[in-house]
Amino acid sequence: MFRGAFSIWGRDMLVLRRSIFSELVSVIAYPLTLYLAFGFGLKGYITAVNGVPYPLFIAPGLISMTAVNAAFDESSWSMWFHRKVQRTIEEYRVTPVTVYDIVIGKIFSGFSQGAVKGTVVFLVILILTPFRIDYANLPMYLLCIALSSMTFSCLGTICGTVIDKPENIGRVQSVVIVPLIFMAGIFFPLSSYPSSILPLIQLLPTTAVFEGARDALLTGTIPSQYLVNLVLSAAFCFTVAVYTFNRKMAE
Amino acid sequence: MNFAITLHDITKSYDGFTAVDAFSLEVQRGTVFGLLGPNGAGKTTLIKILTTLMRPTLGDAFVEGHSVLTAGKDVRRMIGVVPQENNLDRYLTARENLALHARLHGMRPAVYNPRLDELLEMTGLAGRQHDFPDTFSGGMQRRLVVARALVHEPRVLFLDEPTTGLDPQSRRSLWDHIRGLRRTMTVFLTTHYMDEADALCDRIMIMDHGHCLADGTATQLKDAFSRAHTYQVEFRNDADRYQGVLAGLPFVKGVERDGSLFQITLADEASIKPLMDHLAGSDIRRICLKEPSLEDVFISLTGEKVRE
Ligand SMILES: Nc1ncnc2c1ncn2[C@@H]1O[C@H](COP(=O)(O)OP(=O)(O)OP(=O)(O)O)[C@@H](O)[C@H]1O
Ligand SMILES: [Mg+2]
Repeated sequence: MFRGAFSIWGRDMLVLRRSIFSELVSVIAYPLTLYLAFGFGLKGYITAVNGVPYPLFIAPGLISMTAVNAAFDESSWSMWFHRKVQRTIEEYRVTPVTVYDIVIGKIFSGFSQGAVKGTVVFLVILILTPFRIDYANLPMYLLCIALSSMTFSCLGTICGTVIDKPENIGRVQSVVIVPLIFMAGIFFPLSSYPSSILPLIQLLPTTAVFEGARDALLTGTIPSQYLVNLVLSAAFCFTVAVYTFNRKMAE
Repeated sequence: MNFAITLHDITKSYDGFTAVDAFSLEVQRGTVFGLLGPNGAGKTTLIKILTTLMRPTLGDAFVEGHSVLTAGKDVRRMIGVVPQENNLDRYLTARENLALHARLHGMRPAVYNPRLDELLEMTGLAGRQHDFPDTFSGGMQRRLVVARALVHEPRVLFLDEPTTGLDPQSRRSLWDHIRGLRRTMTVFLTTHYMDEADALCDRIMIMDHGHCLADGTATQLKDAFSRAHTYQVEFRNDADRYQGVLAGLPFVKGVERDGSLFQITLADEASIKPLMDHLAGSDIRRICLKEPSLEDVFISLTGEKVRE
């Protein structure tokens, strides 16, 4: 069962290992720039948000952002590339593996990319930052990141499956993914929103991702509303991704 | 049951356009079957249906007794596929491409490694096995795709235009190879090269617009469909006069003239004798039987018009 998924995932990890260094440099550059620009640049203006020093306030979100972005990127582009450019999906499909093997292997590859890159950004920020976090909070934080990477990997898989033109994947990223991330309060507390739209914002899966991650890292608990949101989003996106891929392949 | 491949009334439509139309076929086990047809005839569509990449709109097909509709996984265990366009993984080395394929077939390294050595040796790629396929020439990539299709020792091998883009040496070595497989495997191939079909296939089918037009061995097809009684006669002199004479003979079915060279199609083989009676031997420079080629059969069945 799922031996095929494991082989496909193994292939993706082999390829990732080969290019890990250049991948990491490019993947760390972005959150680190944001961290230095906002965390240190604005430190003199924003001393603390709800009692949390500003660099520490944004750090968990930047780490989660790296993870979910990497998961989405890998899943969408890799699925598109293997389907439309290299046509390796067709090669997988004439072997005894099932479409479930393929889509699950690909989802876990996106998830793993997210996990690896998020971890590295986490370590880099940890080295740069003068304060220390409570390591007992780490498991809850990792659970939160894992669930969010899963959700975004599935979203990426759906995009890579249904979108044929590469420019449209870029559009989805800039019109859907980036706003979802920035609206969710990485850089500011949700209390900045007018109370009329706050309940809507709190329903976004990304809010659960970023608020949940920050609460998890700083306090060791995720508000149950966010945890439920994360679990349901991951489960829902997984189902939709598998279903979509299955449908596409039966065409 | 002696058939490796069976198709029952397979139809495939792409939004209203019928690419394959109620196609039925049985391919004997252990033979090389060649499918010929102009661009867009439906060859690749048939291969995609047989390799479970595509579902037929109507009908069912069986590979080694397994239905492509209900037992796709069993079908895929039996088959090796060389698609029309190379689909190698350019981020994996040649050897890793083969190894991944082996793993997808559930083979363990102890089993597949010796097999990979053997295949890389056979396809002449052993020296380049740790290089990436995008550094290979087109022919080397093609050989790698063929090697990949053979890793798990399939019972039925599908080859969609396997030798397109290969140099004559590689083509011939691939032919030798396919001939060598014949006894242990059933080979289903498509090609645009008539000499390839002639040299390789135990049975040839010519199709167009989703229908079968002709079916048989190369010899049978040539006998049945080509202008088997066509002679080329070249005159030394008096060509104009002979044109008139030939036009008046009842058993001459057609005359094509190119200067002093005539192509004369006779009603039957026996007509050669009366024809000779009407031509003065001293005026003839050369006379020969025009051997029919598979290409003549193909053109006469599918027409000369280029497909859009
Ligand atoms: N995905 C598709 N959508 C719509 N029409 C298609 C699709 N694939 C193939 N066709 C049409 O089906 C017909 C048969 O195509 P097919 O690829 O089977 O031809 P072929 O015999 O392999 O041709 P070639 O020798 O050029 O490879 C063509 O008219 C083609 O335009
Ligand atoms: Mg084709």
